[in-house]
Amino acid sequence: MTWTCDQVETRLSDYLEGLLEAPERAAFDEHVQNCAECAPLLASVSNLVSELRSMDEVELPPQLVYSILDRTLGPREKVSGWQAFRNFVRGFGAPKFAYGVASVMATFVILAGASGDSFRKPKLADLRPATVVRNVERKAARTYASGVKYVSDLRVVYEIQSRLRQEKELQVVPEENTPNSTPEKQPGQTDDHTNTQPRQQNRANELAREVELLAAECPVVFERSYR
Amino acid sequence: MRRHTRRIYNVCYRFVGNRTEAEDISQEVFLRVYRTLGSYRAAHGGFATWMTSVTRNLLIDHYRRTKRDRVTDSLEDKMPVVENKESVGRRPDQQALVNELSGQVQTALTRISPDLREAVILRDLQQLEYAEIRQVLGVPEGTVKSRINRGRIELAKILDQMGVRPS
Repeated sequence: MTWTCDQVETRLSDYLEGLLEAPERAAFDEHVQNCAECAPLLASVSNLVSELRSMDEVELPPQLVYSILDRTLGPREKVSGWQAFRNFVRGFGAPKFAYGVASVMATFVILAGASGDSFRKPKLADLRPATVVRNVERKAARTYASGVKYVSDLRVVYEIQSRLRQEKELQVVPEENTPNSTPEKQPGQTDDHTNTQPRQQNRANELAREVELLAAECPVVFERSYR
Repeated sequence: MRRHTRRIYNVCYRFVGNRTEAEDISQEVFLRVYRTLGSYRAAHGGFATWMTSVTRNLLIDHYRRTKRDRVTDSLEDKMPVVENKESVGRRPDQQALVNELSGQVQTALTRISPDLREAVILRDLQQLEYAEIRQVLGVPEGTVKSRINRGRIELAKILDQMGVRPS
């Protein structure tokens, strides 16, 4: 398939934008390679498209947006001098402004308090840098000292509290170790807890030994009395 | 608002080639859009496309109105314009060349017929899709492609006659 110059010119943009089918593209290429008029035209248009697509945007005139707003939404209201002043003063009553002023004042008060200034007797000398630095240093030293003292006091209090707690625990321990009384247990009889009441155990052992000795020495008496 | 203004102003400037007229037409566009906002339907395409259609109609009106007393080669057309995109970072000599070349392309653009001019502006400068251009111009896509192609070829020939060869 051989294309003419008219065909190439008609499909030139399709070729540049990659919209030609493979056979069309081959025919296009074949013609351009052999045509002294179409080859420079293709190069010119290709360069032109690149140039157009890389052209910078024109800078917007600065007043254009305002002019458009004036024409669409109407001109901005122009106020006289007295009215402008009243509007200006009215702006101070806005909650945002009041909040801002209060915040700034609070900040100043906190900073001044931290620097050790006195509000009761303000003096011009207090504003000197050397005085401000000295006041700040003094205030910082006092704050540090009071902090150290507070921590020290806390330590003493905790120590006393822990000792008192230990004393209480020592008093509570013997009551906890007392064995429960059992109703079926006979007087003088012990359970397997030999360590719990050594005195009772010793007393019972002594009584048993005395009874055995007495039985050995006086068997008659012992036998008669048991009969 | 600023983005739309910039786009509309650029379309107008590229079409008329004159900053004052482009400014006036841009204002007219926004006034028309503001007044006819109720007639906008999403079926017309995106809002930007609809605004571009309004711009195009006003540009054609302006072209017809000024056809008689139009002087294509006015001095103002040759004045260099301030361009901002990617201007930063170029050397002064490079910037001067770019300004000169875009000024010559702009001059050539105002010499081709309005039908071809608007098609080339929308495709190559605004980089719209064929479907969007079809909606803006209200013609079939084949006509759009044909106008773009003819516009580019005419523009290339005019630049060739002017001795300008974009590389």
